Amino acid sequence: MIKIERRLGQPRWLNVAVPIGSIAFSFLVMAAVLGITGHDPIHTYRRLFDAAFISSPAWTATLMTGTPLLFTGLAAAVAFRMQLFNIGAEGQLYLGAVCATGIAIWLGPHHPTALTILAMCVCGAAGASLWALIPGALKAFARTNEIITTLMLNYVAGLLLTYLIFDSASPWRDVSTIQTRSFPQSVALQPSQFWPTLGPLDVVVPFGFLLAIGVGIALYVLFRATRFGFEMNVIGDSQRAARYSGMRTRRKILAVMAISGGIAGLGGASQVGDFSHVLDASPQGLQGAAFGYTGIVVAALARYNPISVCLVAVLIGGLQNAGLYLQGPDFPTGLVGVLQGIILFCTLGGELLIRYRVRFGRRARAPVEAAPAAEPVP
Amino acid sequence: MRGITKRFPGVLANDRVDFEASVGEVHALLGENGAGKSTLSNILIGLYRPDEGEIRLHGEHVDFHSPSDAIDAGIGMVHQHFRLVPPFTVAENIILGEHREEARRFVIQPRAIERHVTGLGERYGLSVDPRARVWQLSVGEQQRVEILKALYREARILILDEPTAVLTPQESEALFVTLRTMAAEGRTVIFISHKLHEVKAVADRVTVLRGGRTIATLKTADASSRELAALMVGRQVDLARRIERAAPPGVDPALELDGLSVRGDRGEQAVKEASLSVRSGEIVGVAGVAGNGQRELAEAITGMRPPSRGTLRIAGRKLRAGDPRSAIAAGVAHVPEDRLGTGVAPSLSITENSVLKSYRGRAMSRGPLLRWRAIRDVAADLIERYGVHTSGPHQRVRDLSGGNLQKLVLGRELSSLASPSVSQSPPRRGRRRLWPASTLSSGPKVLIAASPTRGLDVGAIETVHAYLRQAAAEGVGVLLISEDLDEILALADRLVVIYEGELTGAFDPATATVEEIGLAMAGGDSA
Amino acid sequence: MNVNHTLVISVLTQAVAYGTPILFAALGELLAERSGVLNLGVEGMMLVGAVMGFWAMQRAPGPTALVLLLAVLTAAFAGLVISAIHAFLVISLRASQIVSGLALTIFAGGLGLSSYLGNDLGLADLPPKHQFSEIDVFGLKDVPVIGPVFLHQSALVYASWAMVAVVAFYLLRTRFGLNVRAVGESPGAADAMGISVVRYRYAHVLAGGALAGVGGACFSLSITPGWTDGDSLVGGAGWIAIALVIFSFWRPELCIIGAYLFGGLAGGLPSALQAHGYKIKPEFLNALPYVMTVVVLVLVSTALARRRLGAPAALGVAYVREER
Repeated sequence: MIKIERRLGQPRWLNVAVPIGSIAFSFLVMAAVLGITGHDPIHTYRRLFDAAFISSPAWTATLMTGTPLLFTGLAAAVAFRMQLFNIGAEGQLYLGAVCATGIAIWLGPHHPTALTILAMCVCGAAGASLWALIPGALKAFARTNEIITTLMLNYVAGLLLTYLIFDSASPWRDVSTIQTRSFPQSVALQPSQFWPTLGPLDVVVPFGFLLAIGVGIALYVLFRATRFGFEMNVIGDSQRAARYSGMRTRRKILAVMAISGGIAGLGGASQVGDFSHVLDASPQGLQGAAFGYTGIVVAALARYNPISVCLVAVLIGGLQNAGLYLQGPDFPTGLVGVLQGIILFCTLGGELLIRYRVRFGRRARAPVEAAPAAEPVP
Repeated sequence: MRGITKRFPGVLANDRVDFEASVGEVHALLGENGAGKSTLSNILIGLYRPDEGEIRLHGEHVDFHSPSDAIDAGIGMVHQHFRLVPPFTVAENIILGEHREEARRFVIQPRAIERHVTGLGERYGLSVDPRARVWQLSVGEQQRVEILKALYREARILILDEPTAVLTPQESEALFVTLRTMAAEGRTVIFISHKLHEVKAVADRVTVLRGGRTIATLKTADASSRELAALMVGRQVDLARRIERAAPPGVDPALELDGLSVRGDRGEQAVKEASLSVRSGEIVGVAGVAGNGQRELAEAITGMRPPSRGTLRIAGRKLRAGDPRSAIAAGVAHVPEDRLGTGVAPSLSITENSVLKSYRGRAMSRGPLLRWRAIRDVAADLIERYGVHTSGPHQRVRDLSGGNLQKLVLGRELSSLASPSVSQSPPRRGRRRLWPASTLSSGPKVLIAASPTRGLDVGAIETVHAYLRQAAAEGVGVLLISEDLDEILALADRLVVIYEGELTGAFDPATATVEEIGLAMAGGDSA
Repeated sequence: MNVNHTLVISVLTQAVAYGTPILFAALGELLAERSGVLNLGVEGMMLVGAVMGFWAMQRAPGPTALVLLLAVLTAAFAGLVISAIHAFLVISLRASQIVSGLALTIFAGGLGLSSYLGNDLGLADLPPKHQFSEIDVFGLKDVPVIGPVFLHQSALVYASWAMVAVVAFYLLRTRFGLNVRAVGESPGAADAMGISVVRYRYAHVLAGGALAGVGGACFSLSITPGWTDGDSLVGGAGWIAIALVIFSFWRPELCIIGAYLFGGLAGGLPSALQAHGYKIKPEFLNALPYVMTVVVLVLVSTALARRRLGAPAALGVAYVREER
């Protein structure tokens, strides 16, 4: 018989050991899946790691995939921490990309790069914030389930993206050449508008990556040191306790949705400025990558801690990048998604180990050693 | 039951308990809160599995893996917190999980079941409409449903866990008659209580539990109340119910309600035109059977639920309604009924919870940043002054025992606002004479304590009572809302009764009789 | 001109066809939620059901009717297996139901298991060997309005009606239904009366998964026969189904109305307008069901907040007996 008892104290090492154990365990499970479906797990994993982490170009590509995941992971972490399940990072990222591209096109190439970057970041974040405030306001004032509204708006944002490039004469669409008129694409950014990269080593570090790290650190400070963060922690733990202690829950819902959406929007801006330099509405572009949904995996695996998100995003980014790179007849597509799902399941299962003590055996033999001060009778 | 041992994380709830009841008797299980009575009964009905020991039923060894085993063996239980499904009808609740007779049919036959239930109700004096929805019933009626559930299953053994806690004294009398009828029919009734006079009134024999162990089993007729009390508490006790207070209450009104009406969760009028005044230094008790609007009343005063009509004044100034922050600023301290779900953020640490209300103050934060050092000091001070047993300020409050949790909440409510380092900004002279949310009061003026000792063990109850008295002695106006009439009689300077949302009757606890108050609690004319 | 060839009738006909997968999935979700378990993985379960149903249909030999039956059963089984993961995590391991459901969607969704299976089994863009066709059951397909809309549909549509009746009867009239509702409303009470909360929750989450699998198969076997990579095959129907359970106040008989409303918006209106030569930007039409879901949800949630109706009280809460 398995007995599950609540832990009275929480050993700190478990907070590290459980996620790592979850990842290791998921690779084992996935190996079984691979084996069953007729693939050699060792060989597949080897290729996966080679493509993700072994060489400098691999690292460059990993950071490239990791950057948007870092943004969306932080976006999910900040909201989920307050039990606000914003799964709209996907659509908010599209909106960020749309607005950032828009301002870059409007400004034109003859401004200092720094100004362009600033304008793109501000517009991208603001546009996405507003988009996120739709479900935020509905949640705050009409108590509408934010999971469904944010998700529905993801589809709408995707359709908006498609509409702007494929089905309208919007300012985003490039109609300058015959080729672009028959194969629609967006106006491309000029090289003077490209976001810089830092490449002292062989690995190219995009500017957006550093920006995201900065956001992560800022969030860490927000959670740990500020009244706002304190209120978020209380609201996330118990809405009633928050109301009881006089916290303005509605305002916090709005603020957190705006922050969460803004961060995802920065991710969209970074996609355009750092990498694609166009607003890519094709099925293989923004919409195919599912950065927003993968961000949830990142955030959950990092247990909503912004610093851990930075590490996890790189790891998941590596897997994602390798998965895309290796996609082909002998490398099953969908494998990385399955792997991510399994990692997430294991992390969730692992939570049990943090909260509860699991004992095996027919009966507890020794009396439970109580935490020294948990004596109930004073 | 022999040698029953049950451990919970950090607690030895039952330590080799022996218990035996015979056919046709009412057997009381007497013990203070926390003595292990509920655990023992939960083991007997298969909800918990004992770590050690054995259960014998009519001489045969039994091993219950789940409640259905116990039910099949003829054991029924009326839990202290009813196990009923509120949106279901009475009949649906009664046949729930039943798998014999007409309830066994795949398709439910409501008519037959309703007839059967009505018949049972008539036989045992437990009348209740089988088609009514449970949430519409009074607490006393709900208890009847619980008993009917057991009778419907033809339980030979019926366990009642603190059944009178939710009843008026008159309802309790009626219940005792029913219990005696059932015992006379050859059923075994196990009556769990910590109230001596009830045990004396209804039981044939009594087993006393203390600290998770069996102390004694004796015939009720042979034991005096004093003897039983000594066995239960483990020392000689003074049965005098009132402790005279040191100082008389002040004269300034601390809390005034004027025509306050509040709606409940389902939109019904939960509190009707309540008017009441509590002077500073006075303890006013609100007695009543659970579910008569106590929760809504407390929530309205503390701002957690906006009243539909009426006004609230704290220390003479009108309070902005429906805003907890204004109430806090005005000096309303609140020990909520649901302390773990409302009074604290359960997964956060003691440190964080000790500044749940005061973190906004200037002593605890600078601009948007928190002053963690000051906060840690407050927590350490709280732990020490109020004797909270803990493994350290980092412990999650979820893992505290009920008593320690309540000490933390009470301590925070009484002291954190009055923290000496809080810079006292004088109340703004405003356009409107309202308490502005931004002012920090110098200390609580009013304490709303809702069922502050529910579920606590005896030591903790005494501590909580001492703190309530101390708060009053320091000039706080205390509104004590409790279902435990004895508690109110022991503490309050004045007593009102709440019945169906109306505040009726004002009694002087020193002179009023339990019968008078009980009558008012049941909605009868008050004196 | 025959009334049965008008635009309105064609929209209605399509609404019923497109509403059917939503209806199956919503009934499944309703069963799970009535037992107290929220499963946000419907979209993922539908996608896996779609791919496995299509696979079984392509590979199984035999007459069309038998093959299709087998395919639907395979889809149901696939959905059931996927939902078992969620059930284990949230019932046995007490994980967060919301996060676990999201994980299920990511795991099984368009970039996960369904894509893996579809590609690995080589199903992409294969022409279907069999598919569901409309059956004129009573020979009444020419009756005005009712004929084409309700009596000339695929067997899946008729099956979904039967399912609504079965679920409604089960929940409201049978002993087991009573027990399920008790488990969802007040697991403590159910447990004390000897009803196994764990067993009931597992059973209903699994049944819900099976129904979601069937819902997915409606797409790959009937509406757009075939399998394409990614999540466009189901395209959010699973999420709409979750919202639909809320719209219908957790009542199976009301699900049917909502399902056809959203079926009409999702599939009926765009394809009908297209067929009749109206020129409206497809993005706007396609966004309609999603926008409408949000709008209806807002209306319903304000109503719910006022009345507190419908939602099982213990929805989303893990049940732990021995905690104190």
